[in-house]
Amino acid sequence: MSSSRERILAAARANKPALMSLPPPSDFGGDASLARFSEVLASIGGTVVRLAARSELAATVQQLFPAARLVASALLTPTLVVDQQTPTDVLADVDLAVLAGEFGVAENGAVWLPEAQMLHRALPTVTQHLALVLDQRQLVATMHQAYARLPAGPGGYGLFIAGPSKTADIEQSLVIGAHGARSLVVLVY
Amino acid sequence: MSYRTHASRAEAFVLDHERTSWHDETLWFVRQKRDKAVYAVPEFQELRNLASAIKDHTLSQLDFYLEQFEAAALANGVRVHWAADAAEHNAIVLDIIRARGATRVVKSKSMLTEECHLNPYLIEHGLEVIDTDLGERIIQLRDEPPSHLVLPAIHLKKEDVGETFFKHLGTAEGLTDPQQLTEAARQHLRAKFLAGEVALTGVNFAIAETGSVVVCTNEGNADLGVNLAPVHIASMGIEKLIPRLQDLGVFTRLLARSATGQPVTTYTAHYTRPAEGREMHVIIVDNGRTKQLGRPDFRASLKCIRCGACMNTCPVYRRSGGHSYDFTVPGPIGSILSPNIDLKKHSTLPFASTLCGSCTDVCPVKIDIHTQLYKWRQIVAEANGLLVAKKLGMQFMGRLLASPAAFKLSGQLARRGLRLLPHALSHNQAVNAWAIARELPEPPKQSFRDWYAQQAPTPSA
Repeated sequence: MSSSRERILAAARANKPALMSLPPPSDFGGDASLARFSEVLASIGGTVVRLAARSELAATVQQLFPAARLVASALLTPTLVVDQQTPTDVLADVDLAVLAGEFGVAENGAVWLPEAQMLHRALPTVTQHLALVLDQRQLVATMHQAYARLPAGPGGYGLFIAGPSKTADIEQSLVIGAHGARSLVVLVY
Repeated sequence: MSYRTHASRAEAFVLDHERTSWHDETLWFVRQKRDKAVYAVPEFQELRNLASAIKDHTLSQLDFYLEQFEAAALANGVRVHWAADAAEHNAIVLDIIRARGATRVVKSKSMLTEECHLNPYLIEHGLEVIDTDLGERIIQLRDEPPSHLVLPAIHLKKEDVGETFFKHLGTAEGLTDPQQLTEAARQHLRAKFLAGEVALTGVNFAIAETGSVVVCTNEGNADLGVNLAPVHIASMGIEKLIPRLQDLGVFTRLLARSATGQPVTTYTAHYTRPAEGREMHVIIVDNGRTKQLGRPDFRASLKCIRCGACMNTCPVYRRSGGHSYDFTVPGPIGSILSPNIDLKKHSTLPFASTLCGSCTDVCPVKIDIHTQLYKWRQIVAEANGLLVAKKLGMQFMGRLLASPAAFKLSGQLARRGLRLLPHALSHNQAVNAWAIARELPEPPKQSFRDWYAQQAPTPSA
């Protein structure tokens, strides 16, 4: 083991203050309604679209993204098959990814997307547009409840995605579509 | 060796009145967005208490959590490195890149790597290093340091950005539309992401129990970089640890609301294991942090989650600009972190404050920033010695204000003196720095004490 490791640990041990207690995990309750989730998501540049039934997914996607040529998805018939081995230059051309979100967070419009639903880790950010499919019964109020839903940990890689990629680095002017997806639609059924 | 003072470095910035006002107002607007987001969360003050307590606890068990994190990360197939200082950190990064024979590095925002001056080091060694956060890329092209923790290019106007992109990215001359400028950067950086061989990121939070590192961005640049490159190197200061995944519930609710007034950052990424066939490295860096941990008055500064709320609210930062601090982290938090690194070089920063306490009020982890600023002043005065004029002046004023008779006499002298003295003398800027940008008020004819004595006595009840 490196000597820096030992030195850092020894210094931390020698210099740390007396033990302070760790508060237990908190949960402040809150509003977990679809109305709240939709309102917050709209305020950060995303959109909620309600599906009358899960079976309407393909038709709705077609209607929302008529120009999408290369669509990657495990939820409908894809026009481009993406898996963990898909090379970068192929990923670069994806117009739309339609992926299954696990649950949504009403207070901030975020959707939890675990690695297992991503097809490829880069897909949710490399795609030009992103649609997340979400069961409306899978909503929690706050981030406390969100992390409580992950007792086995976040997995190899996992993302909370709240709206489309954005930046305000030029004079604080909000611009949607920085590096990741230019738009985000949450398709709720 | 003598160093320039904060005030002298701020002079260039404040010369442009219009720009100074714009900077001031824009950051105040961010502060107002923060307030709006904060007031919408009824338990926000409780969250601040929790965040503070979790960080206090973690610091009190830091050795334990460092080892727990390391063990979990190793079990996840992550390679863990330890760096005592900036030089060791940079050497580790270079070694990892060289072992892959890589030359193209994409980087997302990391104040730690700024602190370590990693970019110039890697570029010196022949590597291409591309900052991918839009604001960071802008200042990288201009060869400037960031001027804010989360808004690195806040000192620039869109005309400046247009000029920079015209010069470096081939956009049309005179282009100032933020939407079009951002699109140009998107296209330019896409090519860099796709070609990236090694992705560098910072770490917002490191989870001891799971060995995960969490990176928060709005642009998605960290995730694009990491997930397209074969190698991910995450650099973290030892203070980034939190014990449990559950604790992120508290911190993700506080971070973006405090920083920009957003309910959460667009992307909250949890990196636990490398993808199949890929490498993930975490470098745990001390660089003065264990020393700060050993200073009871100042260790709370290690609780900082780098939201920038203290600078957005600071009347001095807003009007002097981030570059006037000449330290990786500007503003109030930088002014209490920097003296730990170099007391002489940064000796004027604890004085770049009105001690109004607004920084402390908005800090999501309840660091007593203004108290620490005050305490650093005592240390600076003792170690470096104040200017003789200031020292004598303070002693003189201390004695004068302690004696009612002396106070009364000097008041009379001042009221008369100020009326008689020529303006050039009473406002002599060589002697009286206070008068550089200020006018004294008209001296009153009499003191409050004299006025009070003339009033008819109040009938007693």
